[in-house]
Amino acid sequence: MNSIASQFTNNNNNIIRNEINSVTHEFAQQNSLNLVPSITLPPISQPTDFLRAHTDDETNPDCKIKIAHGTTTLAFRYQGGIIVAVDSRATAGNWIASQTVNKVIRINPFLLGTMAGGAADCQYWETWLGTQCRLHELREKERISVAAASKILGNLVYQYKGMGLSMGTMVCGYTKKEGPTIYYVDSDGTRLKGDLFCVGSGQTFAYGVLDSEYKWELTDEEALYLGKRSILAATHRDAYSGGSINLYHVTEKGWIYHGNHNVGDIFWDIKEQEKSFNNVDG
Amino acid sequence: MSGYDSALSIFSPDGHVFQVEYASEAVKRGTCAVGVKGKECVVLGCEKRTTLKLQDPRITPSKICKIDNHALLVFAGLNADARILVDKARVEAQSHRLTLEDAVSIEYLTKYVAGVQQKYTQSGGVRPFGIATIIAGFDSNDTVPKLYQTEPSGVYNAWKAHAIGKSSKTVREFLEKHYEEDLDDDKSVKLTIKSLLEVVQTGAKNIEVSVLKAGNIIKQLDVDEIKKYVDEIEAEKEAEAEKKKKSKD
Amino acid sequence: MDIILGIKVEDGTIIATSKAATRGISVLKDSDDKTRALNARNLIAYTGESGDTVQFAEFIQANIQLYSMRENDIELSPKATASFVRNQLATSLRSRKPYQVNVLIAGYDTKTDTASLNWIDYLGTQVELPYGAHGYAAFYANSLLDKHYRKNMKIEEGLGLLKLCLKELETRMPIDFKGVYVKVVDKDGIRSIEGY
Repeated sequence: MNSIASQFTNNNNNIIRNEINSVTHEFAQQNSLNLVPSITLPPISQPTDFLRAHTDDETNPDCKIKIAHGTTTLAFRYQGGIIVAVDSRATAGNWIASQTVNKVIRINPFLLGTMAGGAADCQYWETWLGTQCRLHELREKERISVAAASKILGNLVYQYKGMGLSMGTMVCGYTKKEGPTIYYVDSDGTRLKGDLFCVGSGQTFAYGVLDSEYKWELTDEEALYLGKRSILAATHRDAYSGGSINLYHVTEKGWIYHGNHNVGDIFWDIKEQEKSFNNVDG
Repeated sequence: MSGYDSALSIFSPDGHVFQVEYASEAVKRGTCAVGVKGKECVVLGCEKRTTLKLQDPRITPSKICKIDNHALLVFAGLNADARILVDKARVEAQSHRLTLEDAVSIEYLTKYVAGVQQKYTQSGGVRPFGIATIIAGFDSNDTVPKLYQTEPSGVYNAWKAHAIGKSSKTVREFLEKHYEEDLDDDKSVKLTIKSLLEVVQTGAKNIEVSVLKAGNIIKQLDVDEIKKYVDEIEAEKEAEAEKKKKSKD
Repeated sequence: MDIILGIKVEDGTIIATSKAATRGISVLKDSDDKTRALNARNLIAYTGESGDTVQFAEFIQANIQLYSMRENDIELSPKATASFVRNQLATSLRSRKPYQVNVLIAGYDTKTDTASLNWIDYLGTQVELPYGAHGYAAFYANSLLDKHYRKNMKIEEGLGLLKLCLKELETRMPIDFKGVYVKVVDKDGIRSIEGY
């Protein structure tokens, strides 16, 4: 694409135009005659390399554009449906850009998407996914399956593979045919169906708590608490996760929002209640 | 020539698109095809042209085409046009599996085929498909038989039993008279063959029948099996005639 | 560090693929099936760049299925399937974004009553082999199979040999690959072997 564009925008390449230009220069004192409509492009040959060089703060801490990265998100299936829990911190390098980010995207009343990686990428493409799901619904007179919805997103990000998209998302939903279903979709094109996923820089901390207490038979109350507690664990250890916790429960009737829980408040309550977090005095 | 039939995308003053109507004429000249919905099956049947003396019947393509494991299509009209449309349908069926992780529903397939046919009535430099199709099958994880029909104009309809092609009016009237709800497999096949015999004089060797059942079961009847039904039907007809004669006497 | 392994025996071909799906330092799934059935008697096992693998395998699967539909239920032979896959990879190699996928194709040809194992890498190298593997597994398994593989082994013997390979991989591989799925392709089609 870029090579084609440069072929038509670069003055030196077009011999005929040079000839015309040289002639008109003599007669009309006009130093360029634009015969081909052109697009002004930044002077970059490979936008992907450019983007990587200027946004990847892991290899280049001095990079000028810092994309919001750090996150902890989780979703798991259990007897009573699906629990989705996320933190709400957005960071750009070492700077906490926001403590009140909504990292769960409500695709429609039966589908949720979680957000990790580039905030803009997730927000835009998951909203776009919502429109695609609605169109499917109108055309087929039937709600889209979670498998199909996640595949639309998976195929989309795969088209953009290697071009700088950064997303790690879980598409969670319930359909009659599939029951409660979670698909993990990320920007290298991976798409996995599973019972339990944690995504983001705090994923390991969340996995630690979640794996140790998870079982299929969890009650709704236990499951909601476990989801919340796992994110809390991650916000405690991962500097890039924090703010507050957003909790969701997905059932056959659609998703139900279970509130926003400020980490600063619930930490002390839970510490006292559980007699945990004994590394902290207080 | 009125001048309104030279280009495809031109209406005549009274609202006709002649090329599309001519395509329907091509359908009427094509050999007859029938579809019948039973309780647990769909039957497709069609008239098969007599093979010429030196023609190899084994490699002469059938008019009943498999679109996917669970869907059949039979057409009436220009064979060569049908090949193109059938291939488009097959590609779409696989593409649907690839992107939606699910087999196409019969309604979706019909809508797609009709959509392609419609596109060829409104684009420049093309001519409409000279075929009508009957599409039959079962949706995945479903036992309800489905039967649809599409026309060159891009119109589609659902049917319990239907006929297209040469003398389709006679066959359709026959079906209207003799169709019953919830036919079993055997009776559905019999009705299909009986209706075809209204217009096919030459009997079993010029009839082709496929039976579709839930769970991707497709059975193509061979000549002997069809002959059995034909003989049965003829015997019944004779008995009927005999009875009529007797009651007359 | 995915493991894919294939062993051809007298009347069938055995394929083993690791169950772990790893991203970064986390195992995201321990029941990931890295194979796709192309038709009744052709199975593709894949490894390589995440995203590319499944996209490529499913693309091949759809095309092989389409072939069966177009050709009146005639199924593509293992040899033709392997050639098709090789050709797709070779074409892709010179494209803007090549598929970085290595595959094994286990097949059974009903016309000649022979089993086969085709090894194909992302560069488009294709060989028909008695046994083969991709990735790190190849470094351990190949020598072992060189020593113990015999022509005309029965399926049970082949499965025994596979156990030997897996034991070595479990001992020496630096990370847990969460066990393997084992599948056999023979005259009856594709079937899973439980208990691995």
